[in-house]
Amino acid sequence: MEKAPLSLYELNALVKRALNESLPEAYWIQAELSDVRSNTTGHCYLEFIQKDQRSNNLIAKARGTIWANVFRMLKPYFEESTGQAFVSGIKVMVQVTVEFHELYGYSLTVIDIDPTYTLGDMARKRREILKQLEEEGVLTLNKELEMPMLVQRIAVISSASAAGYGDFCRQLEENPYGFMFYPHLFPALMQGNQVEESIITALNEVNNRRDDFDAVVIIRGGGATSDLSGFDTYLLAANCAQFPLPIITGIGHERDDTVLDSVAHTRVKTPTAAAQFLITHMHEAAESLEELAQTLIVSVSARMDKEHSRLADLTNRLPMVIKNRTIREGYLLEQLMQRMHVAIARNLTNRKHRLMLLEQRVNDASPERLLKRGYSLTFKEGKAVTDSAQLKPGDMITTRLAKGEVISEVK
Amino acid sequence: MAEKKESYAQAMEKLENIVSAVEKDELDIDQLSVKLKEAQKLVRFCKDKLYKADEEIKKIMEGEDN
Repeated sequence: MEKAPLSLYELNALVKRALNESLPEAYWIQAELSDVRSNTTGHCYLEFIQKDQRSNNLIAKARGTIWANVFRMLKPYFEESTGQAFVSGIKVMVQVTVEFHELYGYSLTVIDIDPTYTLGDMARKRREILKQLEEEGVLTLNKELEMPMLVQRIAVISSASAAGYGDFCRQLEENPYGFMFYPHLFPALMQGNQVEESIITALNEVNNRRDDFDAVVIIRGGGATSDLSGFDTYLLAANCAQFPLPIITGIGHERDDTVLDSVAHTRVKTPTAAAQFLITHMHEAAESLEELAQTLIVSVSARMDKEHSRLADLTNRLPMVIKNRTIREGYLLEQLMQRMHVAIARNLTNRKHRLMLLEQRVNDASPERLLKRGYSLTFKEGKAVTDSAQLKPGDMITTRLAKGEVISEVK
Repeated sequence: MAEKKESYAQAMEKLENIVSAVEKDELDIDQLSVKLKEAQKLVRFCKDKLYKADEEIKKIMEGEDN
């Protein structure tokens, strides 16, 4: 080796050549984004970092560049596929070439990105949040709330300027059935890194007036860029899951549910779908009312018909019943008469019999019968003699026999 | 307001009870007309809830804004 020293530039040039020769291809790498900045020229400068999974200490770091011509395509492609802004803190899989510049040193130039890796990582994070909520026993609390029969007084959490909010209100207002709704806006930021805090603040305001509302609707107009990371946080999910009113989400995205969607009572895709859901819910209430009213009419008239025919039936049966009754009464009467005849006849016979006995006894006691049996009656001067002391010698007495009389003188 | 929210459900429940009493022939004819009147009132109350603006609710909603 030569002894002559190299200039720094010469050395760096050597490093550059060595790197180019030994790492000539483009490589797919997985890393976390950090310190993402883009300037007015449209180029994006950032750092790739890797942390130790256990200790969370940095174990690798590299500067990165995405040139404007690439970044212009890459950023919207990534954000639309993932629903995640291209910002620090997320994990990405990018295709890079390894560069070395004599002045700026080592860096990676991004030429492509694979959003599925980020999606997978986000899904894993969401699963972790949901698991934690489940372990805490709050995951399904909001779903378990009963949606009131009428959901008319609606706390809307949205940004006031968003088209989605306007669409929502207009749709409610113009519902074809003429149902009444009372939406009330609680403004919140629905984009950027203050989403979580802003929505939680709005929820707290609703909670302070929770008796004034039937349900909460969280909506967001579908903007071109869709940064949904704010809806995937533990704190927001925990707040929503435990919120005392049912929450309906319509935060305008097509990808898998956010954590917020997962804990909400009802999840729909867009603000207009949220309005449609509320209208349908009212329509169901109105239909069951209508049904009930119909059933009432039908069953009341059925009941009246039944009473009518009962009455008619009774009316028809009445003459027959009366006739039957008359016949039966007549029969009873006849029976009574008969019994009376019998009783009278028996009574008369008894009396006759007794009379005969009496007559017999009277006959038996008559003086003629005694006279016939040999007894006689003695009279003195027409009076019956019953004691010999009534007589003295020389008295004339008349003795009556059964047949004839004898006159004698007492001695 | 919590009461108001309840009363629609309560009205519906009362209505259900009346309808099922009629269906089961549990009411005599004298009661029937009384109950029918009550049911009509309940239906009107429920319909008003659905279709008519409740000034009181409006006031509550707006009152808190100012």
